[in-house]
Amino acid sequence: MHTLRLTALAGAVLLTSGCQFLGTHDRDVVQVGQRGTAMEINYVARDVETSMADLQRRMPAMLPPAPAGGPAPAWQNVQVLGDISVPEFNRTMVAMSQWVAGGPGNCAYCHNLANFASDTYPDGAAIYTKAVARRMIQMTRTINSQWSDHVANTGVTCYTCHLGKPLPNGLWFYTDENQVLRHYLDNTAARVASRTVEPSPANRSSVKQTEWVWSVMMNMSTGLGVNCTFCHNSRQFASWEQAPPQRVTAYAGLQMVRQLNTEYLAPLAPVYHPSRLGPMGDAPKAQCSTCHNGVYKPLYGLPMARHYPAFWGDKTDWDTPPRPQFTAAPAPMMDSVPVATSDSSGSGMPQ
Amino acid sequence: MLEYQNLFSRVQIRHAPDQGLPIDETFGQRYGTGTFSYWLGKIGDAQLGPIYLGFWGITSIFFGFVAIEIIGLNFFVQVDWSPVEFVRQLPWLTLEPPPPEYGLSFPPMAQGGWYLMAGFFLTISILLWWVRTYTRARALGMGTHLAWAFGSAIFLYLTFFFQPLLVGSWSEMVPFGIFAHLDWTAAFSMRYGNLYYNPFHALSIAFLYGSALLFAMHAATILAVSRLGGEREIEQITDRGTAAERSQLFWRWTMGFNATMESIHRWAWWFAVLTTFTGGIGILLTGTVVDNWYLWAVKHGVAPQYEALNKLTPEQLEKLRGQYMGTLQGGYPTYTVPAPAPAPDAMAPSTSTAPAGGTP
Repeated sequence: MHTLRLTALAGAVLLTSGCQFLGTHDRDVVQVGQRGTAMEINYVARDVETSMADLQRRMPAMLPPAPAGGPAPAWQNVQVLGDISVPEFNRTMVAMSQWVAGGPGNCAYCHNLANFASDTYPDGAAIYTKAVARRMIQMTRTINSQWSDHVANTGVTCYTCHLGKPLPNGLWFYTDENQVLRHYLDNTAARVASRTVEPSPANRSSVKQTEWVWSVMMNMSTGLGVNCTFCHNSRQFASWEQAPPQRVTAYAGLQMVRQLNTEYLAPLAPVYHPSRLGPMGDAPKAQCSTCHNGVYKPLYGLPMARHYPAFWGDKTDWDTPPRPQFTAAPAPMMDSVPVATSDSSGSGMPQ
Repeated sequence: MLEYQNLFSRVQIRHAPDQGLPIDETFGQRYGTGTFSYWLGKIGDAQLGPIYLGFWGITSIFFGFVAIEIIGLNFFVQVDWSPVEFVRQLPWLTLEPPPPEYGLSFPPMAQGGWYLMAGFFLTISILLWWVRTYTRARALGMGTHLAWAFGSAIFLYLTFFFQPLLVGSWSEMVPFGIFAHLDWTAAFSMRYGNLYYNPFHALSIAFLYGSALLFAMHAATILAVSRLGGEREIEQITDRGTAAERSQLFWRWTMGFNATMESIHRWAWWFAVLTTFTGGIGILLTGTVVDNWYLWAVKHGVAPQYEALNKLTPEQLEKLRGQYMGTLQGGYPTYTVPAPAPAPDAMAPSTSTAPAGGTP
């Protein structure tokens, strides 16, 4: 009997001392919601540190600020960047060659070296990279100035997606009719869970459609390197009330990537060299992982854009927290149950 | 030295294989004369065979073979008839039910037609096997408890046919595939607002875990008293000996109540039967009576409410809500070949306006 007691004691000591292995440097679990609801963010701290160190090693150095210069001169054929000073213009060009064209001084990736203002090579062929770059600068400005719901004061530069390479990661093309990535372009319907207790004609989503939505969600999850509870409360995936605030940011991101794909990326199809197009002749399009590269905040939230005025667009204030489109309401709302049998009543669940 | 002492014998007796009772051979006969396996003797009776198949057994195996053949060949064609890839990708290969747009109509073979055929043959096979368990029990003068317990499992299996029938789409059915059917369970739960809030699902889990617990308790108890003759459960039912007395006293000491040598088997039978029976009821209610089990649980005060993580006004919520994947029947999203992109206005400054909040 004595032995039995000793064994039990030793077991208890071992069991409790084992708790020190939880939440170590290797694996971190951060509670983000009500206790007992499994609202946790899981990550491996060591992997994050390795990834950040790797990024710092690869990143080109931030260019020193451009000296003050007068207003831009009468440039020849400068259609987008005409609103910045000459030193800033040159600094931006150097930065872009590092960010996109593989290294500083690789001007020829986008320019006719005999005539930098020209949109064509000496043989008369169009420089498609220059036309695309021009449109991409406009796109970057739109993101920074109009999508603070998603990028806030962190902003984006060319490097956010390009990472020093001409082609960003995660570009996608049309494949077939079941392609779930269409949600990043024109497929807006993703909701499958009903807003009412009883079945209604408003929602006839099938289990199969649920799996398609799930595929998109997995795509976002891997693109951002996060688990489901980063954005959702798994007790009710559809509920906005119970979801972490990150879901609202992600929703704005979905709206953003749709605008970027429909207004900026997809329409460039006739501009690209045919080798850049997909099997159905469509232009490369972006998804979450294009900018995020497996990280919940691109470049781990490095605020790069504030140092490069060429990409600001209308945005001038990089310090005041932007007023989000979906501001916090004064009073919390709990889930309540509507009596309506149809979702069209609009008095549904706050989800 | 400790020695394993009980009436379970490690000795394997070899004799002429036991042929069992004489049977009516109108519909079938026993195949083989029986043989012995040393290793089977380690875990049970060493005698293997003769086996009785009969009309029901043979037809069941035939239809089952057809079903497995359809599934397997569909898998095979998915890997372009490569045996290596077949083995490598087997866990991910799947024979899918028809897409949602076909509703309850019969789809083209490659669009779920093969799936429906496989399901049909598999169901026939299972039902025939049920008849076999019933008739074989009757032939031996046994009760039909096994057949009815199997019937409870078949009931759950059939609800995966009737629930899609009730909600009007074959696309709801469970795909044939190892990971595919697991994904289906997760998707089914998400579609219907978290199946964990379905009280019949909860009951089913309780009976399932309870079955495992009862199985462990009963097996451990009988093994513990087998040195006293406890494994002779039938004798102990009618003529309670010291094994029964001690095992029952053990449970009375430890938890105040004890089952009996007889009743423990009824406990086990009902727990097993109710696992699948309550589960089947839960499936039948899903999508037919309740479309969102979480909201059902909120309505009835089952799901606890916590402080909202997102404090949003109704207007903001309205902005955030997306459209349903499936709307009215016939309104399932269909594929349109992307229109040729308009000529880019690459030179013009961005004309985009403020970000759209909701979906168009």
